[in-house]
Amino acid sequence: MKTLVLGLGNPILTDDGVGIHVVRALAGRLNRPDLEVVEASLGGLRLLDTTVGYDRLILVDAIQAGGQIGQVYRLAPRDLLSSLHSASSHDLSLPAALELGRRLGLAVPEDEAITILAVEVGDVLTFGEVCTPPVQAAIPRVVQMVLDQVRIP
Amino acid sequence: MKKISIDPITRLEGHGKIDIFLDDEGNVANAYLVVPELRGFEKFAEGRPVEEMPRITPRICGVCPEAHHMASVKACDAVYHVEVPPTGKKLRELLYSAFYVADHTVHFYILAAPDFVLGPDAPPAERNILGLIHKVGLEVGGRVIRCRGLGMDIVGMLGGKTIHPVGALPGGVSKAIDEEERAQIEEWGHELVDFGQFSLQLFHDVVLQNKTYLDMILSDAYTTPMYYMGLVDENNKVNFYDGKVRVVDPEGQEFVKYTPEEYLDVIAERVEPWTYLKFPYLKKVGWKGLVTGMDSGVYQATPLSRLNAADGMTTPLAQQAYDHFYETLGGKPVHGTLATHWARLIELLYAAERIVELATDPEITNPHVRNIPTEIPDEGVGIVEAPRGTLTHHYVTDEKGIVKKCNLIVGTTNNYAPISISIRKAAQAFIKMGQISEGLLNRVEMAFRSYDPCLGCATHALPGQMPLEVLVRDADGNVLERLTQFIE
Repeated sequence: MKTLVLGLGNPILTDDGVGIHVVRALAGRLNRPDLEVVEASLGGLRLLDTTVGYDRLILVDAIQAGGQIGQVYRLAPRDLLSSLHSASSHDLSLPAALELGRRLGLAVPEDEAITILAVEVGDVLTFGEVCTPPVQAAIPRVVQMVLDQVRIP
Repeated sequence: MKKISIDPITRLEGHGKIDIFLDDEGNVANAYLVVPELRGFEKFAEGRPVEEMPRITPRICGVCPEAHHMASVKACDAVYHVEVPPTGKKLRELLYSAFYVADHTVHFYILAAPDFVLGPDAPPAERNILGLIHKVGLEVGGRVIRCRGLGMDIVGMLGGKTIHPVGALPGGVSKAIDEEERAQIEEWGHELVDFGQFSLQLFHDVVLQNKTYLDMILSDAYTTPMYYMGLVDENNKVNFYDGKVRVVDPEGQEFVKYTPEEYLDVIAERVEPWTYLKFPYLKKVGWKGLVTGMDSGVYQATPLSRLNAADGMTTPLAQQAYDHFYETLGGKPVHGTLATHWARLIELLYAAERIVELATDPEITNPHVRNIPTEIPDEGVGIVEAPRGTLTHHYVTDEKGIVKKCNLIVGTTNNYAPISISIRKAAQAFIKMGQISEGLLNRVEMAFRSYDPCLGCATHALPGQMPLEVLVRDADGNVLERLTQFIE
């Protein structure tokens, strides 16, 4: 079973980059031939491209759902009304992109094999390369959640 | 599992937010698109080596990183006073043309086509690419994905990686292509030209043959004559990558043509007290408020304006399509905002033809693709046409090439005033004497969607599913009514 761990976000917009920081923290710890770690700042069809050929997807990203900053949610695609990561008003949401891919016969992971680890964030409007302290503190927790999921001791 | 209802407002608070102000009679006085403010970019860029900007700026907006990459590297060329060798320019333009094909494909088929193929009154749940495939067949969907994929594969071959392009450097590009790569790009280019023609035919069959849609395109509610901007080559033909910026007036006459360094002589930015957003306008015409016409400095930068500002296309099939466009819509310039979707397809065809042209250029496999900068860096401006409008990058550095200041005018910024005006026009048809009719939200969404606004990593939804909040306010600014779609 091939697993893709995909960190999403904008690494130059402060908390928006948390997904990217998480996968960078995982670097070197996921050394198994069946695991691939990728960081990306994209959405929609570009995201679809990245997920083709994998059986399982673990996606890490920022979210604003009205919870406590630094809180981490474990979600499935059906929990999202529109999308996690945006790129524009003219691209596809993640669930729609995946569904499109499936209908066209692309080898995209099934919804049941997709886990989304989302961190509640605060500042996503200021340019900066470091997350705010409560989000920074969540990074090691999310790293551990990924390791547990792929069963790395 | 706990069901979390996630507000479709994305993490950047990026749903479309519109404020509509009524006058004392309850009619629409003004409408404004409210956009979240990204803060501190200048400060963030200060102190960095300028050659990092082509790697940093693509991340500002995840939609068209290639556009920022190109504008940025051209600004760096200017900062370093370095001339790019011919093959370097051609490889950059080849990458850029492939990106255009991919981007315009996504835009038309995901955003515009569903509205026209399924109709603006179809239920939102069907009015999207999945509904489109259901109606016209899986084969179309497959072709869309494949052609978009080919465009991105070419970008990947030339740009280093498809996710974020890194191939262009000050003075040129980082690698040449060999005969095998060239032949592959040429082959794919032919397929993309075919696809461009297929798309125009689809538009013809589904939209132009349908009187209702054609009337909509020509309708007054979506027609706003104004100044039009686009990059042109030395023959005043459309070029996305290089040239001078040409602006024509609402009657189609050339008003100004400027080089990148001159942009501050031509464009000024209007500050309004009620928004942090600045509205660019033509200095010499002046700011007359949110109105359009010969006497107002408001201009647009879109696929439509690019075709209006130019005298034609450099490639034969696109030129034919260009002529047909103006014949059908009653001559130049075309003012109907919805015609932008058609203009986008003409550009798609041109970009595909350009891929073949460049891939068969005798110089394209030449190994000399870069001149190393040797001059002392100081200041430079780089301009390209982003799919969403004219994109300007301006950097000032110290003598070591460290950024001291930077200014960006991104595609959509050019269109803030036109978007607000189009929204107001659409709203005026649906709000009279304080009464709001059904269909306001849809009309308003259509008005601003044809500009394909890039709200800085903001909204993200299918047509008809765009999270949108409209606040209708009285003359004192108090909220009378809040209308929403896809927002709790």
